[in-house]
Amino acid sequence: MHRSESRIGVAMISPWLVGFCVLTLFPFGASLYWSFCRYDLLSEPAWVGLDNYRRLAGELAEGGSFARALANTAYYALASVTLSVVLGITLASSLAWKVRGRAFYRTLCFLPTVVPTVAAAVLWLWLLDPQLGLINGFLQKLNLPAQGWFQSTSAAGWPPAWPGDHAGRVFGSKDGLVLMSLWGVGNLLVIYLAALSDIPKTLYEAAELDGAGRTRQFWHVTLPMLTPVVFFNVVMGLIQSVQAFTQIYLVSDGQGDPAGSTLTLSLHLFLTAFKDLDMGYASAMAWVLFVLVTLVTAWLFRTSRHWVHV
Amino acid sequence: MSNGRKCRVRATNQTNSIEIRTWPRSDISPESLQGRWLFSMTSIKPSAARFAAVAASVVFVALSACGATKAVGLREEVVFWHFWGGRDRPIVEEIVEHFNTSQTRYTVRAIAMPGSNLDLKFFLSVAGGDPPDLLNHDDPVVADWAHRGVLTPLDEIATADELSRLRAWLFPAALQLGSYHGKLYALCNGLDIRALYCNKTLLTEHGLDLPETIADLDHIAETIAPPGQTTSRLRMGYLPDPRRLWAWGVVFGGSFANLHAETAEQMITADSPEIVAALAWMADYGRRYGPSEVAAFRSGEQALTGAAFPLLADRRYAVVMDGQWRVRDLETARQANPSLDVFAVKPLPAPPGGRKNAGWVNGNFFVVPGRARHKQGAWEFMKYWSGFDGHEAGAAVACAAGGWIPASQHVVDQPAYQQALHRWPLLKLFVQLAASPDQVPVPPLPVGSLYYNEVVQAAQEVLYRGADPATELGRASNRVRARLSEVLDER
Amino acid sequence: MNADRTPRWAHFWLAMVTILMVSPLAWMVLTSLKGPDQLAAAPYSWWPSPWRWQNYADAVATIPFLRYLLNSILLCLGSVAGTLLSCSVVAYGFSRLRWPGRDLLFGALIATMLLPWQVTMVPRFLVIRELGLYDSLWALVLPKFFAEAFYVFLLRQFFLTVPQEMIDAARVDGCSELGVLWRVMLPLARPALATVALLETIAAWNDYGGPLLYLNDPERFPLAYGLEQFVSAHSSQMHLLMAAAVLFTLPMVLLFVLAQRVFVRGIATTGLKG
Repeated sequence: MHRSESRIGVAMISPWLVGFCVLTLFPFGASLYWSFCRYDLLSEPAWVGLDNYRRLAGELAEGGSFARALANTAYYALASVTLSVVLGITLASSLAWKVRGRAFYRTLCFLPTVVPTVAAAVLWLWLLDPQLGLINGFLQKLNLPAQGWFQSTSAAGWPPAWPGDHAGRVFGSKDGLVLMSLWGVGNLLVIYLAALSDIPKTLYEAAELDGAGRTRQFWHVTLPMLTPVVFFNVVMGLIQSVQAFTQIYLVSDGQGDPAGSTLTLSLHLFLTAFKDLDMGYASAMAWVLFVLVTLVTAWLFRTSRHWVHV
Repeated sequence: MSNGRKCRVRATNQTNSIEIRTWPRSDISPESLQGRWLFSMTSIKPSAARFAAVAASVVFVALSACGATKAVGLREEVVFWHFWGGRDRPIVEEIVEHFNTSQTRYTVRAIAMPGSNLDLKFFLSVAGGDPPDLLNHDDPVVADWAHRGVLTPLDEIATADELSRLRAWLFPAALQLGSYHGKLYALCNGLDIRALYCNKTLLTEHGLDLPETIADLDHIAETIAPPGQTTSRLRMGYLPDPRRLWAWGVVFGGSFANLHAETAEQMITADSPEIVAALAWMADYGRRYGPSEVAAFRSGEQALTGAAFPLLADRRYAVVMDGQWRVRDLETARQANPSLDVFAVKPLPAPPGGRKNAGWVNGNFFVVPGRARHKQGAWEFMKYWSGFDGHEAGAAVACAAGGWIPASQHVVDQPAYQQALHRWPLLKLFVQLAASPDQVPVPPLPVGSLYYNEVVQAAQEVLYRGADPATELGRASNRVRARLSEVLDER
Repeated sequence: MNADRTPRWAHFWLAMVTILMVSPLAWMVLTSLKGPDQLAAAPYSWWPSPWRWQNYADAVATIPFLRYLLNSILLCLGSVAGTLLSCSVVAYGFSRLRWPGRDLLFGALIATMLLPWQVTMVPRFLVIRELGLYDSLWALVLPKFFAEAFYVFLLRQFFLTVPQEMIDAARVDGCSELGVLWRVMLPLARPALATVALLETIAAWNDYGGPLLYLNDPERFPLAYGLEQFVSAHSSQMHLLMAAAVLFTLPMVLLFVLAQRVFVRGIATTGLKG
């Protein structure tokens, strides 16, 4: 019985095992091997030792494309993750109020998340059009300067601000992408809402007895109780923003435009592999990316002890 | 439509075979896992299971069969990818249609792959083993592709006689665009030439003449936008575009590559004195107005929509370098607004010791992938569109309709094209420049795209951030050298 | 805090937030009904005048919309079928059967979720090429038959909640393991299966990178990729583009409205969009 159970067990997971070996494990090993090779997909890979990694280090030291991509990715990941945490908590705690029509508000706030990425990218390109876009029109109505959005580089980040840009253009392409990612905050809202409803009432009652007002209740009860979800949000958000591709590819004309300001690691890697046909270099970059993501995730887990409430 | 029918017939066949497999239970050995799976499915809800099987097989067959290659009767189908969009698209479609009606052996199926991912898709198709038969493109990639062995050299599909005639037939720039290591790999079917568009009305208002020399150009710039102004600018006399170091480098007498050199180190010459001098001249504009000011002026431009050609947008410039396609834009604008400023075009002025009628040229070209299936059909269509081998008259009509610059003087000489020159007088200069041997494309090296981008990036650093021209060009050259020596070693 | 005591500012704030979230969508729909001249006018207005329903007909006529739609539907059906079939079997193998090495392999499965897709992108392309699937919808569908880690994880968590007695009873009745899965687990797991199906539908409907890498004949393009072709070819015709985008989004919105509960629960348990 026991032996047959294990036979059936292995048989049942075999679809995954086959897929795992063929579509994950083999590619994983192959890309590690190729990262030490020169390979253009058309001819046989040729071993070059650490050349690709040396090139990466060189680019990093000299401020080449790889450095730019790294900085862009960091900018995008940091901004979108931090802002999504803040926005997620703010919105969720508002939507948790027991007001009439709450379900309606919630539904509408969630709706943008079902908009397919391609449609969302097209829509935001239009919303953020510097001349005819809704958002710049709105800014102008408030007497604020029009922004360049997807047509310009960000003031912060890479490449750094052109100082002396008198026209007050601050927001550029990466900020447009961040805005787009914030629009899809609905996914997080649901998780935050679930977490909020799980906070025991007694905690609030106790706080109230201690004379804590609404604000202090938020800082001392709500926020600590939300930290596990925040942690989850940060880890997943990090992984997702590092891997984000479709929307970036679409708004940047497929090449990180303008002036390489949206050339993220994910896009750079894709272009290096399939446009420059430099598979070895792309593989090395992918491995650096993988190690970086692993390190940051591990670091998050380590520090989580200090701030995540269990 | 024959396709749809084929789908359905195969669907029923497939469904039967799957149903048969589910029926005879005794045939299924109890040990077989798949057998048990089917057994338990049928034993619970036979109808549901059968429905699922039928539905699954329909999806299966549809997935596999739909979009399978169409039968095209007796003619060979030439699958043709191109990048043409916008207002040129209908003209391209018409060329294809004309070709198809003129043919009994071949039929061209044109697939538009607009946007920036044509070379990406092309490489994927080559790597995936299913390339198109013919491709029309305009990025400096011929040498790269030829070097990697993914292109069919034209001498494999054209006769020696055809090729020698073709070499004489093409403009020098067009010939250079398609060559790598002395072999032709691509047939150019149109050139993109740039010149200075000058707003004559604006210049006259300031008592200025059209620029004949570099000094004239500087003078125009300083008169219309005096340096040292503190408020944000709305107008410039002239402002060099970092991308056009490719043109000015040649005008200043430089060359971006030494193709006869032995090593990659010597082949890349973007840091040669003439090109550094050209960039230093461009950088003077950055210095005069302040690099950040220049950058701000340019980034404000990026916020203009594509249709608002800088020249036409509120007289943003008195002089702008741009391509021949703006001639048509100007005509369209003039029809909408008869009181539009008067424009003239001039060749790029050369400094003492520089080259006249020089500049940077690119163009559209046809290439046939190495593993294409219908190479002869592709060759016929290439000749038909470019106008080679007796197709000049038809090509002239197409070029006239699009305001394109043909790849050969023989097409220019056709009545249809001469009429276009009459209609669009500004186009004449561009056509004259097209024949100049000093219109130089990005060097045919297997790192063309990278080289182009690195040079542009270096020029941006200099113009927008005040970096040193020699240092930046040296760095860019070294990066390209490193990559080139790697690529050349590959084989 | 209860409904009666809701201050007015709370409603105001919520309404404002909601309007901010929904206005891009509204703008998309309204733009899709405007004429080209109205789009270029600088002091724009929200309301189309006149309402051009014609845009939709034009958008559908400009691209092979039905062909793309059919491909998208096939892609969704194939992907969902593959996912449900493989993931439920694998999840059962990982949850209710004991065998040596199970937990180790399950750890490997979890780890694959953290692996950036870029790392395996190139070799995967070669695998697909070697299987002869390049430029076929199968390139996108076949991998779904090999059980995606995330869904396996989801279903396994669900299967673990089923009481052991029910499984034992079924085994005593002579059910094979597949019988247990089919008769006991799957009927109970219907909500979880619906979640998986829904998430996979959205993922397949949205997939852009897949077609970009693997498809090169427009006859096989799904909507997500076909729409992008439309973007580059007709970038000036924003009204048509928006109409096409609305048509592309609509099925997902409808799906959401119809299956809202499943949706929200799915997201809440997983914290992810497909």
